[in-house]
Amino acid sequence: MTILRLLWIYLRVGVMNELAYRVNFFVRLFQSLLELGTALAGLAVVFSYTDTLGGWRPDEILALLGVYFLVGGVISVVIQPSMEGFIESVREGTLDFTLTKPEDAQLLVSVQAVDLWGFIDVLLGSGVLVVALARLGERVGGLEAAMFGAMLTAGIGIVYAFWLILATCSFWFVRVENILVIFQSMYQAGRWPVSLYPGWLRYGLTFLVPVAFATTVPAEALTGRLNTETMLGALALAAALLLASRAFWRTGIRHYSGASA
Amino acid sequence: MTDLAIHTLDLHKEYVVSEREAGIAAALRGLVRRQTKMIPAVDGISFDLRPGEVVGFLGPNGAGKTTTLKMLSGLLHPTAGELSVLGRTPWQRERAFLQQITLVMGQRNQLVWDIPAIDSFELNRSIYRLSPADYHHTLDELTELLDLAPLLHKPVRNLSLGERMKCEVAAALLHRPQVVFLDEPTIGLDVTMQRRIRSFIAEYNRRNEATVLLTSHYMADVEALCRRVIVIHHGRLLYDGDLSALLRSFTADKTIVVQLGDCSNDLSAYGEVVSCDEGTVTLRVPKGETARVTSRLLADLPVIDLTVEDPPIEEVIERVFEQGAP
Amino acid sequence: MSGLIDLYLQQFKTTLAAMLQYRAALVIWLIGQILEPLIYLVVWTVVSQTQGGSVGGFTTGEFAAYFIGLMLVNHLTYTWIMYEYEYRVRHGSLSFALLRPVHPIHSDIADNVSSKVVSLPGMFLAAVVLGLLFRPTFHFVPWAVAAAVPALVMAFLLRFFIEWCLALAAFWMTRVNAVNQTYFAAMLFLSGQVAPVALLPGWIQTTAAVLPFRWMIAFPLELLLGRLTPIQTMEGFAIQGAWIGLGWISMRIVWRAGVRAYAAVGG
Repeated sequence: MTILRLLWIYLRVGVMNELAYRVNFFVRLFQSLLELGTALAGLAVVFSYTDTLGGWRPDEILALLGVYFLVGGVISVVIQPSMEGFIESVREGTLDFTLTKPEDAQLLVSVQAVDLWGFIDVLLGSGVLVVALARLGERVGGLEAAMFGAMLTAGIGIVYAFWLILATCSFWFVRVENILVIFQSMYQAGRWPVSLYPGWLRYGLTFLVPVAFATTVPAEALTGRLNTETMLGALALAAALLLASRAFWRTGIRHYSGASA
Repeated sequence: MTDLAIHTLDLHKEYVVSEREAGIAAALRGLVRRQTKMIPAVDGISFDLRPGEVVGFLGPNGAGKTTTLKMLSGLLHPTAGELSVLGRTPWQRERAFLQQITLVMGQRNQLVWDIPAIDSFELNRSIYRLSPADYHHTLDELTELLDLAPLLHKPVRNLSLGERMKCEVAAALLHRPQVVFLDEPTIGLDVTMQRRIRSFIAEYNRRNEATVLLTSHYMADVEALCRRVIVIHHGRLLYDGDLSALLRSFTADKTIVVQLGDCSNDLSAYGEVVSCDEGTVTLRVPKGETARVTSRLLADLPVIDLTVEDPPIEEVIERVFEQGAP
Repeated sequence: MSGLIDLYLQQFKTTLAAMLQYRAALVIWLIGQILEPLIYLVVWTVVSQTQGGSVGGFTTGEFAAYFIGLMLVNHLTYTWIMYEYEYRVRHGSLSFALLRPVHPIHSDIADNVSSKVVSLPGMFLAAVVLGLLFRPTFHFVPWAVAAAVPALVMAFLLRFFIEWCLALAAFWMTRVNAVNQTYFAAMLFLSGQVAPVALLPGWIQTTAAVLPFRWMIAFPLELLLGRLTPIQTMEGFAIQGAWIGLGWISMRIVWRAGVRAYAAVGG
């Protein structure tokens, strides 16, 4: 419950922050719509020449696009700004303020910066998903929806843990922000089903930078092509990474405060 | 021991620093085997603070003041020694401990930049789980003491440095901590604001009996607030005791800076000549002699400008270090 | 003139030093430059395979060739100058450029070219690796390859001039990101990055013919791949030349207006 409480108060701060710059809303809305429009146009061009892409039908790819925007929105609302803020606070020394507060530091650091307008992407993504689901119709049942929810949660958890592990490296290395940019480059590949890509790229997008778990796997759940191994694998990986990132975080804090190894 | 607010015994903090000589050969060697050196930042400090004391931690840059403060607030692990604040071990960072302390760092902000200060206060209220009644009571008191009313609803980035510092201090005190750590709180502020912050701290301490540990390399901060002062240099404690006694023993001199046309005059008859630089002569004279020497200088020589200063703190500290604790 | 050459050389040395310092940033930039054409390469080769080996005049192998070539041509003509100017205006460092007696575009071009000298080996390596992995089909024609060289130079200049004008928008607006993004979105489709221009719907192709984007990337690329007739090549050069002229004139106008606006605010 502390998580929700803290998330709420930092969201309020984020809202107040952003409402100071009202123009931002319209600019961001325009940018998000442009990005969505570009993606849809690309889809349209591709599907004017074929009916399926790697076994995926147009509405299924549309659903994937919805997941892509939805998860991208979640990342840009809280995960990205908080992790970037954390890296900067290590550099500036303002992390010390966080460490003297009576709340768990990892929690504080993870929700400290909320970028309100990322919700635009969450909304757009949800909208696209709804449209795609409507067109997919009866083939999406309760079971698929439940698996989708589980895979979405697992995917977001995996992405969060991944960002946290990378950001924690800033306790030891200085220019870590650059590495985070790699995620954003590779996330672009998540607009298409990861199964499309050749083996080595698929591997990279699954195990090196967990884009597959963020977009393709939840979309597979929704379109009924998720196999049990992948589902269990995603859940196991999410749990393992969250635990590992927590342990790594604590090691990082101990290093920062000069505790003997 | 539990009636002490702060207790330290033989506190040590060493940093491991990798060392490298110049040159390519050394750089290549450095890839395989790192030469390291232990730098003692804090080298065996012991002191105790009773609740309600306001103590100044004095020393030049790099003396170990901030390191000590960080150990006391739980940010750093000591390498050796005993350490307790309010009966707890700081570096364990227990929630109850963190609820009772606060840290203010000069020139570093915890306030959120783009929103009004009051909203950052609300944030702290939530984090420290203050009841609305307590929060408003404390906020009113702080607003009155610091003249915050016109500042609260302005975005922090629109405040001047001094106004920001006032808000920072207020934000840090909303939860009425029992122990207040202030790390160079007046650095970079103009003289008026420095005085303002100092008088606030004094008043706050008087009203709340909070224990205040203040580090500074400004003598004026310490003089205004602290009856007791701890002098630290090269990580070692040089003096722990009454401030006035320290001043009497070690700042027995004043510095007179005289601006003449050139350095041709020999002023050694007036006092100890420290330096002469293009007509600006720095003289050191015993405190009691200041008025007499000044009037003689003004009478005898074509003085363009003259100022009387305290010797810089570094000189005082050097003297304390050379001569040892009294 | 010799002063200008010296300036380019000096800028080259500075950029080289800076790039070698920020090796990580360089690698990350390259990853982005490789990944995007790679994604479309995969998508279109899959489409082509699904449709029996060819789509819209491109075989699977020709798609691979197209996108590998695209990767290189895009990289060669790429600029980041709008981000530079946004940064400079925001941090007030534009004053330095304004104080120099030389037009700032020279050091901008020099910086761009110098960066690519450092990055090109990596890109070529990536092209070779992708070539091995995807087995592209190349139809190189000697005269076309020779003609592609000046086409590439002109494409670079054209793209640089236009994007430099765009960069100067930073003089008037703080929210240049929206403008940049619109530009890049248009570029994405109209220059043949999402798909070869020939595969785009008719009305987009018409738009592409009228706007400069096609001549920044698609034209030199198609020429290099041997997909253009001599007549189309001549027409292409003419249109490139016209756009370069237009770009150059716009540049001068916008620069003068921009300096006035900047000076009015006090920098």
